[in-house]
Amino acid sequence: MIIIENVHKSFGKVEVLKGVNLTVEKGEVLCLIGGSGSGKSTLLMCINALETIQSGRITVDGIDVHAPATNRNKLRTKLGIVFQQFNAFPHLTARANVALAPRQVLKTSRVEARDLAEHYLAHVGLGDKLDHFPSQLSGGQQQRLAIARALAMKPDYMLLDEVTSALDPELVGEVLDTLRLLAEEGITIIAVTHEIPFAREVADRVAFFHQGVIHEIGPAKDLISNPQMERTQEFLGKIL
Amino acid sequence: MNSFSPVFTQGDFILMLKGAGITFYLTLVSGLFGTILGFLIGWARTVKFAPLYYLLGLYIEVFRTVPLIIQFVLFNSGLAIFGLRIDPFTSGLISLSIYISAYVAEVVRSGIESVPPVTVKAARGLGMTYLQSFRFIVVPVGARSVLPAWTGLMLGLMKDTSLVAVLGATPPELLRASQIIITRIQEPLAILIGAGAFYFIMCHFITVVVNRYEKSWNEKTKVAA
Repeated sequence: MIIIENVHKSFGKVEVLKGVNLTVEKGEVLCLIGGSGSGKSTLLMCINALETIQSGRITVDGIDVHAPATNRNKLRTKLGIVFQQFNAFPHLTARANVALAPRQVLKTSRVEARDLAEHYLAHVGLGDKLDHFPSQLSGGQQQRLAIARALAMKPDYMLLDEVTSALDPELVGEVLDTLRLLAEEGITIIAVTHEIPFAREVADRVAFFHQGVIHEIGPAKDLISNPQMERTQEFLGKIL
Repeated sequence: MNSFSPVFTQGDFILMLKGAGITFYLTLVSGLFGTILGFLIGWARTVKFAPLYYLLGLYIEVFRTVPLIIQFVLFNSGLAIFGLRIDPFTSGLISLSIYISAYVAEVVRSGIESVPPVTVKAARGLGMTYLQSFRFIVVPVGARSVLPAWTGLMLGLMKDTSLVAVLGATPPELLRASQIIITRIQEPLAILIGAGAFYFIMCHFITVVVNRYEKSWNEKTKVAA
């Protein structure tokens, strides 16, 4: 379970998160929607401590993420993250991309890491691209590679930061299909997304971010079909 | 030499060949130590700690701006003043290493900074420590982008080794050996062309080795046709 309590985060003088409260249950799929600059992506970075926070508290399975004594490297193995920008390791094959962290961080054997990599690449539909380098893969394939790389750490949670936003429209579908697969498997997902129909279909709950706080949150179908708050209606009206 | 000969002899050729060997040795050793030192300095400058950044920045500026020939003489005299007795050859080798480390440091820093932050974040996000992400991602990715710049430095270094002659370092490197022969046989053009050819061959050797290495990388990461 992830518990976010009154989190504030600033970049210099700009306050991006202004008191965020959120609880995510194990097995839940939560989608974060909202305008750009509303703080959705920043919140994801704060959950796995790639960004620091100014005040408040974030706990993951009872571990205070930002406490000085917390082993954040160990914590991050439980929190897979996939970014909007392509970030495959360019000098490694798809297989080596996925095998690196299990081998170095989890200290699995070479053979085990290799098997893990091949298993998860097949899982995301890249079983025939094991020896390809990222530059030989399409954007959609690179994102699926990034998903496989995160999954190979066997995380309890997946943090997805607009993973389809940098893709050509015809490639979005294949990545969403992969995400559907994850959702069906019961892994806990927090996804920042602009794919509203997708959020409606796979998410348990949807949270609308506005001006650094969660403006409205509710069951996916209710919030998207029948938003209560004026700002949410306005946002959904613009993008649907 | 027991007899004076006004023409180019086999002994002269051997002297130049040995000189070329010395030049290559000076380049290799100072290139190695300069690269190790420069790597550490360039790396340290990417750690967000202002005093270190500026202090090492000063080091880089000093050794990149003061002419190498002055560095040779000052360093060698400095050693003598402090009572350290080091032969001119070793003194020259140390000066060269320090000199080239300043250039390497800037190349290394730009290499480290050329790695997209999101790539490093991805590595950290997988639970890798700073050192793991540095070793497995930042160094190999950054090295590929600055290899040509680094190679250029090493070629420049090879030509700069000729300046150790001001210390009277023995054995003579290629240019000094050539001058010795020129003084005797008074055939500067022919000898300098020969010396130039030696430099060309050695530099070309380095370029070929690096290019082959670079090509093996690029083939791996090339875009599928």
